[in-house]
This record gives sequence, C-alpha cells and structure tokens, in this order.
Amino acid sequence: MNSSICAATSAAATSATSARVFDAIDLEKNFDDGHVQALRGVNFRVMQGELLAITGPSGCGKTTLLQMLGALERPTAGTLLYRGKSIPDLPDPSNYRAREIGFIFQAFHLLPTFTALENVQIPMLETGLPPSERKDRAIALLRSVGLEHRLGHFPAELSGGERQRVAIARSLANGPSVLLADEPTGNLDSENARLILELLIRLHVERNMTLVLVTHDMSIAEQASRTVQMKDGRVMPDSEVTITGE
Amino acid sequence: MTFFTIVIRGLIRRPVRTGLTLLGISIGIAAVVALVGMSRGLSKSWEAGMRARGTDIVVSNMGSSLTPQPFSASARDRIAHLPHVAATCAILVDLMSVENVQMMMVSAREWNGFSWKNLRLVAGRMPHDPSEQAVVLGRTAADLLGKKVGDKIQIETEELSVVGIVDGNAWVENCSVILALPILQKITDNRDKINVIDIRVTPSTSTGEVEQLCERINKLVPEGRAMAASENISNSQAYRIVQAMSWGTSLLAVVVGVLGVMNTMLMTVFERTHEICILLALGWKRWRIVRMVLWESALLGLVGGVAGVLIGAVGVKVLGRMPAIRGLLEPDLSVNLLTLSVAIAVTVGVISGLYPAWRSSRLEPSRALRA
Repeated sequence: MNSSICAATSAAATSATSARVFDAIDLEKNFDDGHVQALRGVNFRVMQGELLAITGPSGCGKTTLLQMLGALERPTAGTLLYRGKSIPDLPDPSNYRAREIGFIFQAFHLLPTFTALENVQIPMLETGLPPSERKDRAIALLRSVGLEHRLGHFPAELSGGERQRVAIARSLANGPSVLLADEPTGNLDSENARLILELLIRLHVERNMTLVLVTHDMSIAEQASRTVQMKDGRVMPDSEVTITGE
Repeated sequence: MTFFTIVIRGLIRRPVRTGLTLLGISIGIAAVVALVGMSRGLSKSWEAGMRARGTDIVVSNMGSSLTPQPFSASARDRIAHLPHVAATCAILVDLMSVENVQMMMVSAREWNGFSWKNLRLVAGRMPHDPSEQAVVLGRTAADLLGKKVGDKIQIETEELSVVGIVDGNAWVENCSVILALPILQKITDNRDKINVIDIRVTPSTSTGEVEQLCERINKLVPEGRAMAASENISNSQAYRIVQAMSWGTSLLAVVVGVLGVMNTMLMTVFERTHEICILLALGWKRWRIVRMVLWESALLGLVGGVAGVLIGAVGVKVLGRMPAIRGLLEPDLSVNLLTLSVAIAVTVGVISGLYPAWRSSRLEPSRALRA
C-alpha cells in the first residue's frame, strides 16, 4: 500500500467533521417482485469527509447500494438518510443528483457525440450558470484532472484513463460534497487505475469531499479510510476496517 | 455549449434519417402550400376580377360546376329598375378549350355594359358593334394563345378576329377571351341565356342596403342567387369542393408527416435510452428531457416546414404552367399562407414528439448504471 496516499486519506478522515452524510438502517431492495433480493437489511453510515470503500464479490449488492445513495433506486424497505433527510422522500431527486452528488461509473458513460469540454458542461445546464461561466468552469475542471490539452476531443479519441478523467471532471461539475464511484478503475489497466485512484484521493483530500467507492479490488479498498465488506446483500459483521494512519 | 447545442446535436447525429424525415414533412407542407394556395388563388383571382369590373353584387347560380348555370336573359330586366341599382351587365361566361389552351375563361358581355369599361386597350381596338365577329384578349390570354391583333381565333366552330389586346387590372380579366354576348350565345347555343348578372349599386348604398337588395333580387330571380361580389366564389359549390379537396389532401399529407416525425423521434428515444438515462443520472430533470425531445421534433417541423414552403412555392409555379390550368388562376402565396404552413409544420413536429417525449420521461436512470 502506498504509504503517502494512506496517510493523506487518514488525515482527511481525521479532520472530517463528525456529521453523518448517509445513514442506512435495515435497508432492503428486491427486484422482480421479490424474486431477487439485492439488499437484505443493510445497516451502515458514512461520515462527512471520509473515504469509504464498499467491497465484495460481484452480485453482492454494492452497486445497488450505491445507486440508492444516488437516488437512482428506491429501497423496498428500511431507512436511507442523507444528512438526516430521507432520500426516497426527497421532493426533487434530480436536484439532489445534480447538486449534492457526483457520479463516476466504471464504463465512464460519456456522451459520444460531445467533446470532453462539452461532456463536463452537461450537468451544469441544470444550474442556470451562464454559458461562458460553464465553459470556464469546465476548462478549470479538466485542467485539474490534467486534460487541458484534450478539451476538444471526443470520447472515442481519448484513452480509457483520459475518459475516466473526463468523467471525474464531469462528476465535479456542480461542486458536489459527495462523490459516488462505482468501480472507477474497473475498465483500466493497472497504471491508469493507479493514476485515477491517486486523482480521486487527491480530490477527496483537497476538497474535503466524502468519497464512497465501490470496488471488488482489495488493493484499492486498502487505500480507503474505512472499508465495508458486503456479501449476499448484507454488510458482513465485523467487516468494517478503519485506517487510523498510525 | 447550450441546451440547444444538445438539441441540434441530437438531430444531426443521424443525418440520413433526419434528412429523410425532413423530406417527408417538407413534401407534406409543400402539398399544403400548393393545394391550398391554388384554391385560395382561385378565390382571390375571382374576387379581384369582380373588383376590376366594378361589380358590387353578382347574380348567378354557381351550383356544383366550375361555371354558373345559364338562365334567361330576361332576369336582368326584372332587377334593372330596383332602388340602389346603378347599372347592370348581363354576362355569359364559360370555361372552354380554345385552340391549344385546354381551359380558358371566355367572357361574353352585354354590349355597352359597365363590365367593358374597365378594360384598357393595350393594342388594337374594341369591337365596333355586338354583331362583329371579333374578340379582345386579355394580355395573358394573348400570351398563352400566342395571338396578336389581326390574328384569327377558333372558338368551337366559329373563327373570330382578334381586334384588341386589353389589360383588365385583374388576373381573371387578363386571362380571358372577351367578346360580345350575342356571339357566345350563338356559339354555345345559349340564345337569350346568360349565367351572370353584374350589378353596380349607387355610391351611397350601405352594406345593409346591399343585403336587402340581394334578398329582393332573390325573390325576383329565383333561378339565380344574388350576393355581394366578395362572397360569390366562396358560396360556389364547386369552389367548396375544390377547397375541401385541397385541405383533405393536405391533411393526409400532414398526417403522413406526423407519422414520419413520430417514428423518427421514437427511434431516437429508443436509440438514446442509455444516453437519456445518463443525463437523468447526472441530475437532469425529466422535464428537461421532455423539452429536449420536443425541441428536436419541433425543429424538425420548422426546418421541414420552411423547406416545404420553398418546394410548395416552386411546385405551385410549375402547376400554374400545366396546360389544364394555365392562365385560370393566380396561386395565392401570401405571407399568411406561408406562415400558416410553417406553423402547421411546427405544430406537427410538437404533436409528433409528445409520445416519444413522454416515453423518454418514463425512463429509469438506474438503467444507465446497469449497462
């Protein structure tokens, strides 16, 4: 494990306020009229400024959990709170997704007919910012992920690592306080995976952002300030590991 | 980048499909412009002709044919003495095949009637008397027939002399062969028959008095129907049929356009399900997605409408040169009709986009993550 990264994440976690960002209580999610039980009573919390890794094998429910945190799925039962407010009962989930949350997907999900600069501006259309301000902010974000020389390139003209950088810049477009990353390095080679992870951790530290990272790669999870392991739709008992940095 | 960049990018990503859809809607709108323009042109040309002749009231029986039904010339004598009637002019008008022109207006007028007075000689002279075997040609009619003063013209079995070319200040007048009433009555075997009485009222006559006069004439001349000149053509059964057919055909073309745009937009939404889910996951409101789809379809309508208006305008000109209707009417390509056509196209676009937009708004954003 990279000791400098570990120290940085631990410091961020330590300096975080004790405010709870997410609270999940007995969270359940069924699909196909209950034939598939994706989550079976999940209990966990996420604190402000921490880097939480959710690990587990494929199909254990970690992506479903992440989607619920992002108000993309509704729980079948249980309670899910964001800063004390029930996520399923949010009056405007799109506003929550646009302003509070930044999503990073394994498959990048950039829009292929738009340039890197345009892709980053797309979430900003919901904010009412003037076009020139949107453009300036997008340029700054792409610069912060090291892509100032790729502004006018379409996704097909970018490498996998560059696409994920664009996706990260896009996730930061509206200045969210929480980043939800679903296997962000899953489609990348090891070198690009390392660079993307470093970038995410740097952003987490610099911006004091809460970062919830879903991964099945334990080497990545080890760099989080805390890890939660899931299996068969449940958080494994005694699976939480907190990195103190000592 | 703005919201409209995304709208336009959505349309041009499939240029062939978008182009074909535009072609479909533009043909529909071209049909509206051409057909409605022609029927309106018929009405306007007729009204302009009435105005040019100085006619306030027309007595005729338009029936269901393109020209009025003949009735006894004595009808004119029954109304000439009525109050507010300043002058009358008995007319026999027909659409006839004249030499190489398949349909041409042939207008025979009572000698010395006021309908002769508006004709301005461009060349030659007027006939000397009602018995002279002569015609004057409107300037457009002369062009269509390729005749000049001194030429002979064959109308049915009679050969007449072209003694003058006239400008009648209206399309209908300029496209007519004009001659004295007895000559056409003889040619068409309509002795003592006329089919139109033009009436000029005294200058101070009010609209209400014109209406009362029409009612009185209708009692005196049951074989015809009196109405203000401006209403004459619109009350014609034939004109109503032409108008109904124009709108009916146009409606059919528009329905085809609706289906075309709807198909395109549905395909677009199906193809872009993943993209729409991504936009929703990034925080776009469903209403913005609906607006995006509606704007795309409205834009298709707008561009298709403008193209359709251009195609229709050219089409009308081409139709106007067809032998069957050449010289009969001046197509109405007024700003009103062109604006209406574009408005129809945009409405078609929006209506066509409603269902696809609704479908797109029902998508669940979590689909994007499952892909």
